[in-house]
Amino acid sequence: MARQQGWFALILALAIAAGALLASFPLQLGLDLRGGSQLTLQVLPSGRIKTVEKEQLEAVKDVLERRINGLGVAESTLQTVGNDELVLQLPGEQDPSRAAKVLGTTALLEFRVQKSGTEAEMQGLLKLKRQVDAVLGLRKAKAAAAAEATPEKPPEPQPSLSAEDLAKALTSLGLTVPPGASETDQLELLLKEVNRRVVALFDSSNLTGKDLVSAGRQQGPSGNGWDVTLAFNREGGEKFATLTQSIAGTGRLLGIVLDGRSISEASVGPEFKAAGIAGGSASISGRFTADEARDLEVQLRGGSLPLPVKVIEVRSIGPSLGAENVRTSLLAALSGLALVAVFMVVMYRLPGVISVLALALYSLFNLGIYALIPVTLSLPGIAGFILSIGMAVDANVLIFERIKEELRSGNTLIRSIDTGFALAFSSILDGHVTGLISCIALFALGTGLVKGFAVTLAIGLLLSLFTALTCTRALLRLLMGYPALRRSTYFLPLAQLPPASS
Amino acid sequence: MTVSLSPKFRISQHRRIAWWGSGLACALSVLGLVLSWLNPAIGSPLRPGLDFTGGTQIQLERQCEPKACTPITVSQVEARLSSLALPVATNEQGPNLAAAKVQSLDGGQSLVLRLPALSAEQSQVVITAIDDLAGPLKASGGSVNTIGPTLGAQLLQGSVVSLLVSFAAIAVYISFRYDKVFAFLALLTLAHDVMITCGLFAWLGLFFGIEVDSLFAVSLITVAGYSVTDTVIVFDRIREQKKNLGHLPLADQVDVAVDATLTRSLYTSLTTLMPLLGLIFFGGASLFWFAVALAVGIAVGSWSSIGVAPTLLPVLSRR
Repeated sequence: MARQQGWFALILALAIAAGALLASFPLQLGLDLRGGSQLTLQVLPSGRIKTVEKEQLEAVKDVLERRINGLGVAESTLQTVGNDELVLQLPGEQDPSRAAKVLGTTALLEFRVQKSGTEAEMQGLLKLKRQVDAVLGLRKAKAAAAAEATPEKPPEPQPSLSAEDLAKALTSLGLTVPPGASETDQLELLLKEVNRRVVALFDSSNLTGKDLVSAGRQQGPSGNGWDVTLAFNREGGEKFATLTQSIAGTGRLLGIVLDGRSISEASVGPEFKAAGIAGGSASISGRFTADEARDLEVQLRGGSLPLPVKVIEVRSIGPSLGAENVRTSLLAALSGLALVAVFMVVMYRLPGVISVLALALYSLFNLGIYALIPVTLSLPGIAGFILSIGMAVDANVLIFERIKEELRSGNTLIRSIDTGFALAFSSILDGHVTGLISCIALFALGTGLVKGFAVTLAIGLLLSLFTALTCTRALLRLLMGYPALRRSTYFLPLAQLPPASS
Repeated sequence: MTVSLSPKFRISQHRRIAWWGSGLACALSVLGLVLSWLNPAIGSPLRPGLDFTGGTQIQLERQCEPKACTPITVSQVEARLSSLALPVATNEQGPNLAAAKVQSLDGGQSLVLRLPALSAEQSQVVITAIDDLAGPLKASGGSVNTIGPTLGAQLLQGSVVSLLVSFAAIAVYISFRYDKVFAFLALLTLAHDVMITCGLFAWLGLFFGIEVDSLFAVSLITVAGYSVTDTVIVFDRIREQKKNLGHLPLADQVDVAVDATLTRSLYTSLTTLMPLLGLIFFGGASLFWFAVALAVGIAVGSWSSIGVAPTLLPVLSRR
């Protein structure tokens, strides 16, 4: 008797602890339940690096973390997964496309010097680039104004490019236009080709983003767009001075190239012939929008990625769809469980009531452990939880069927209970162990969704072993301490009992 | 302990029916899998979903009551998509939106678009275009999933490998706890249950276009786990009775064991099916087919643990 009370005290203490855990650490809901976006990035080997090592993955993660923090998104988490993947989670209603863009670029900043003897070609290309840029900018502004339905600004002298000129420019660069492309598409195609050719006219130098100490942004002098400002370390400052000195007054240009894309071309005046631009700072004026300037600043300040990354998976779900998932899954689980409870009480009488109590405790312990570890509950996770309840019920059914059998064959009540637990043990153990084997295989080899399911099912199986063998038993023995309850008819219909024992 | 030596229910007397029933179900399943494989539109035993093929799936909710929405046809949406120009990264071929598949759900209230894999930026362009056409859309009611083609292949490989590894591990455990014939039978019934569940989904894929996703793989592994548990419980009873009933023919021992565990097998399947039925009827679309796969698998698993594994045991042990 004292031993049963000891178990009972332990169970009560655990229940209180689980309740306290749940109260102080709320359950963490997965993005599929509360809405949000999840991006999976794969780190790609490049150059001399053939396989991605752990240190390189961590290095990439560090850089990406700095960039995410710079973006100012709330509550985001970045985790490494497997050998070469990173998973970023953005909860709530946040647009994943901007994050994808900022995370996906290498942000390798290079300062390049124009090859000598290419002045004429460069001038032609830059003129075309400015023209196309202006036309495209105007079109975008117009589209934006139309979308917001604000009255348009008074017409300024509008840059334009006639259809003929456009066609001529395209063919002169050896481009073929895909059928059905709109004028904007053609302009973008042209701009891309021009940029490619501009970059080809520059020689690379040894001054890169590595020599930066900080980046900032400021409103451009003409009030027309934003500039991004750069500050170099001492070595970088010297390199920059040498670089600018070499081209000062020659008419050759300094190209600022980000990820192989020329973002700005600057001339260096003859007054820097003597010492180059000293002082270790520079600014890129590329007529950026406020957002573009901010993103670029974040990328430059975060440093360039040691290896390129690719976004391989984006999953996003709206908060209201997520809330609906929670509601329907809860309703489903609760209605199913209510049915199970009714079934157990009808079929097993007093022990049925006890098993319902034990299963309630079981669910409480389960949720307590989810809060403790913590387990992030996703839809498959909830499915795993519901299934583990099925296994827990099964354990109780096995035990009670055995008790009934013993009673039918004429054993006393207390002995039947003990024998029932003892005999049911081996099949309960085997069932749970095979279940756990599946969980281990799933967890070790499966991917995201599958892992969440395996974790909740495994926790459920371990706990179900505990509750079926201790909680149910302790409660049953405790109640058997009251002579009024010690009646076989609380376990079996009278008709099934052998005449001697009742 | 006394055991009733005259079981009310003798499974051995019905074993021919049991074998024929299971054989027929397996044959139908294999037929479904083969037909699905030969079907040029599917080309694999089961119709693979987004998780395995890779691509982008966009689900959008329109701001209107079901059935009161301004009607919009699937072909309208498809036409809009194929005329769309997407922003394309340097040196990359733009995705072909003409291959998009559009589904209209809930009386036109929500739209599901299946597209080739898009970048986040490109999917935003698609959403904006649909907003123009079918808007206004609920800002917080949509979902966008993109699975890269390599990731899809990885998912498929991971699922198959984890399935096979867990089968092998379970077989090792049973031959350690029982013996090799038991392990073989447990694996046979497991294969039986998994095959019939797959077969059902092959037919569903052929006739209703139902696709299997990574949740389906999860359900198969769970079915396997349940199947083995069910079978093991009957075997456990046979082993336990060896002491008292060892002198009887094996077929009789099996009958006694099945009869003794029959109530448990049926009750357990029933109590497991209850939450699943809850999920099927109230759980909403995201877990519907998952719950169906599990419910079918568990029902079949409980059948095979009563009708297939125990009746085959005397046949195999004789050799």
